[in-house]
Amino acid sequence: MFKKLISYRVPRNLLVLIDIIALLLLFAHSTDELDKFTLITGIVLIFIIYVSNFILLKISSGDHYIFLIVTMLLKLGIIMIYRLNPKLGARQVVWVSGGILIFFISYIIVKKFKKWDRLTLFYGLGSVALFLITLVFGKTIGGARNWIKFGSFGFQPSEIIKIAFIFFIASFYTNEKKFDKNGKSGYRLLIAVYVFIGFLFLQKDLGGALLFYLIFLVIQYVYEKDRKLILYNILLASIGAIVSYFLFDHVKIRVETWIDPWRYVDNKGYQITQSLFAIANGGFFGTGIGLGHPDFIPEVHTDFIFPAICEEMGIFTGIAIMMLFLILVYRGFKIAFSQSDKFFRIVAFGISVMFGFQTFIIFGGVIKMIPLTGITVPFISYGGSSMISSFIALGILQVASEELHVEEVEEHE
Amino acid sequence: MNKEVKRMARVLIAMCLLFVSLIVYLSYFQVFTAPNIKDNSFNKRLWIDEENILRGMILDRNGKTLAYSEKTEDSTIRHYNYGSLYSHIIGYSYRDYGKSGLELTYNNELLNLKESTTLKEISKIIKPDGEGNNIKLTLDHELQEIARNSLKGKKGSIVVMNPQNGEIYAMISQPDFDPNTMKQNWQSIVENPDSPFLNRATSGLYAPGSTFKVVTAVAGLENPNVSKSYDCKGSFTVEGYTLEDYGGKAHGKIGLEEALVKSCNSYFAQLGLQVGRQELGGVCERFMMNKDIPFDLPVKTSKFAHGEELKKTDIAASSIGQGKTLVTPLNMAMVASAIANEGNMVKPILVKEILSPKGHLIRLNDTETISQVTDPLIANQVKNMMVEVVKRGTGTNASIGNIRVAGKTGTAENPTGKSHAWFIGFAPADEPKIAISVILESDGTTGGKTAAPIARQIMIEGLNRIK
Repeated sequence: MFKKLISYRVPRNLLVLIDIIALLLLFAHSTDELDKFTLITGIVLIFIIYVSNFILLKISSGDHYIFLIVTMLLKLGIIMIYRLNPKLGARQVVWVSGGILIFFISYIIVKKFKKWDRLTLFYGLGSVALFLITLVFGKTIGGARNWIKFGSFGFQPSEIIKIAFIFFIASFYTNEKKFDKNGKSGYRLLIAVYVFIGFLFLQKDLGGALLFYLIFLVIQYVYEKDRKLILYNILLASIGAIVSYFLFDHVKIRVETWIDPWRYVDNKGYQITQSLFAIANGGFFGTGIGLGHPDFIPEVHTDFIFPAICEEMGIFTGIAIMMLFLILVYRGFKIAFSQSDKFFRIVAFGISVMFGFQTFIIFGGVIKMIPLTGITVPFISYGGSSMISSFIALGILQVASEELHVEEVEEHE
Repeated sequence: MNKEVKRMARVLIAMCLLFVSLIVYLSYFQVFTAPNIKDNSFNKRLWIDEENILRGMILDRNGKTLAYSEKTEDSTIRHYNYGSLYSHIIGYSYRDYGKSGLELTYNNELLNLKESTTLKEISKIIKPDGEGNNIKLTLDHELQEIARNSLKGKKGSIVVMNPQNGEIYAMISQPDFDPNTMKQNWQSIVENPDSPFLNRATSGLYAPGSTFKVVTAVAGLENPNVSKSYDCKGSFTVEGYTLEDYGGKAHGKIGLEEALVKSCNSYFAQLGLQVGRQELGGVCERFMMNKDIPFDLPVKTSKFAHGEELKKTDIAASSIGQGKTLVTPLNMAMVASAIANEGNMVKPILVKEILSPKGHLIRLNDTETISQVTDPLIANQVKNMMVEVVKRGTGTNASIGNIRVAGKTGTAENPTGKSHAWFIGFAPADEPKIAISVILESDGTTGGKTAAPIARQIMIEGLNRIK
């Protein structure tokens, strides 16, 4: 037992080692009055992550790697956010702790409740209701009107809708036969999805719209029987994209600053060019934590956390993060491959592509490979909504990684 | 494998490709794009060092302070002691307008920035108030001032250098601007049609006029088969195009020396044609035309057209420094230096030494031969002809009592309608210590009349001052 506790072969022990190194670095960097505080939050965090990995090992018979990967990502995010702003860093620790709690709660709820695949209408209408609430009561933060505020507590409904959206599509394809009375049900789904995307567009949440579209497109690619529809979907989206480029300024700006941000370096291209400066100054190994100037980038702790990490920890860390996400996506696909329950198979697939596309959209955006559309980095960016929705998704993925069919059979007996 | 799994696998492959493309792009960016964008003046990181480090001083060759920085309570101020006198050499350094001149080329040295390593960054945090290095120029402040005043406010440029080691003693470009008040006068400087920001000495491209005949003479001497004797009728016609001699004067039967002394256009036009396009082009390249001149400031490349499409009229015009030939005043000073230095063209040097704040020598810029323009024999032949030019030809206004001066005048026609007045030369001819090129832009006068006296005065002062 003791041997296992200190063995480097146990991944969670490696994580603790990384934590200790990072904590020492933060310790060296932070100003005097915060030292005690840093130490306490750090130790609390190490403890929470260690224990939760341990508990998971005991209660879940499924995949234990996805949570490990995520905890590694969490650490990198917290270290960076803490370095940028200790107050936000401490709050992020709270969000992460809450997120882990939500992870376990969603794991239990999703596992115990058995009728997830029969609530298609509820997912659809519930999402539309949430969208409407956002439109009416929404606050504009960072150019997108997708926040609801309760006092000082902000909340982004689209983060929750993302999961409802996957459930919606998954339950639709699971019960296809039930909906498919005249063989045209695929069109109805297409229309419903475009309503979702339309709402996101109205909120000027382009990153969200793109993400929803891509998730739908790949699920449709795998499950749609009427193959023409996929073509229609692509055509429709392309036309939509071109039309909106000419109609809406905020779409045009994204494209212009992607093609040549240097022309607009002091105005609309400011954010992306500052991001590029940060990455360029970091080099391959980074300046070291606390030694760079990632704080020059606006919105650095949320959407632009990646260039900050690249500046201070180098693009090798940046590439490592991309690899971690790729492994997470791969594990997700593996879960989908081996899940015998169709609904959870689609959900696992949907969540995996969601993680994959979301990181691709934002990483590609901040390094100017694709036009920049604001979206958070799952598990790394600062913020409660994103953290909680990502953990819910992870909890669901954890459920999907277990043998569900057996239990269902038992239920029928 | 059923359809569903197969399709999912394809999506997985696509996903992997997306992530691999991210990684490839990021690595590509870091290796190829990053070095180019780091120095963008919108990268605020560049100015962080500026705030912590006292920018180094710029001194003339005798240690006179030309520019220095001073720390005030909330910022540092850069002072340029002699206002506009060094506007094109030292340049300026402002957060909102960027940097130019030596402030730009030697930015890292002035701020004492080296390859940034973690260890150095940490030491910077521990001890943030550093001092930058000082740079010592080859310029002589007094000579610089004399040279500027000798132009009397006219548009033009003067380059004075040591022909043997390449040190630049003075470099003038008029009109200029005052970097101290540049921010306030920005608009008027930018809108001025005479472009005060242009460093004419290194970036002004002018027709060289007859000063180019020095180059043509070298090309002629290098080809023993070319006939050096010619009967000048006062004009020269090639393919229906006539080149006039100055004032239409016929020089009669003359040789190369007489032709240079009298600056005979007809002679050199036919000489150039005899030598031919390729040969002449080769000589020009040895004189660093069509080539990048290595220097501490950005230099425009002088142009000598010698492509195959070149017509005979073009070659004839080029041989006398007209047509498509365009040179910088710096290049012409180097042409004079190369003749003075037995055909060895040395690299011009503006920064002599880089000194640490405590005065230790960090770097010394050494003399470097960048081109062997011709062999010493031919260089000396041309030198002697140039001495005759000043003694009894078009350049008599540059002659100094007891010192043998070599030179060549030029009056270059150009699209403005008013000719440029040129003079290039060096002294003393037997042991050259100073070489010069003077141009008065669109002055409408001849080089012998206006540019030669200016060169004379500066050469006297230079020989007296610089030991």
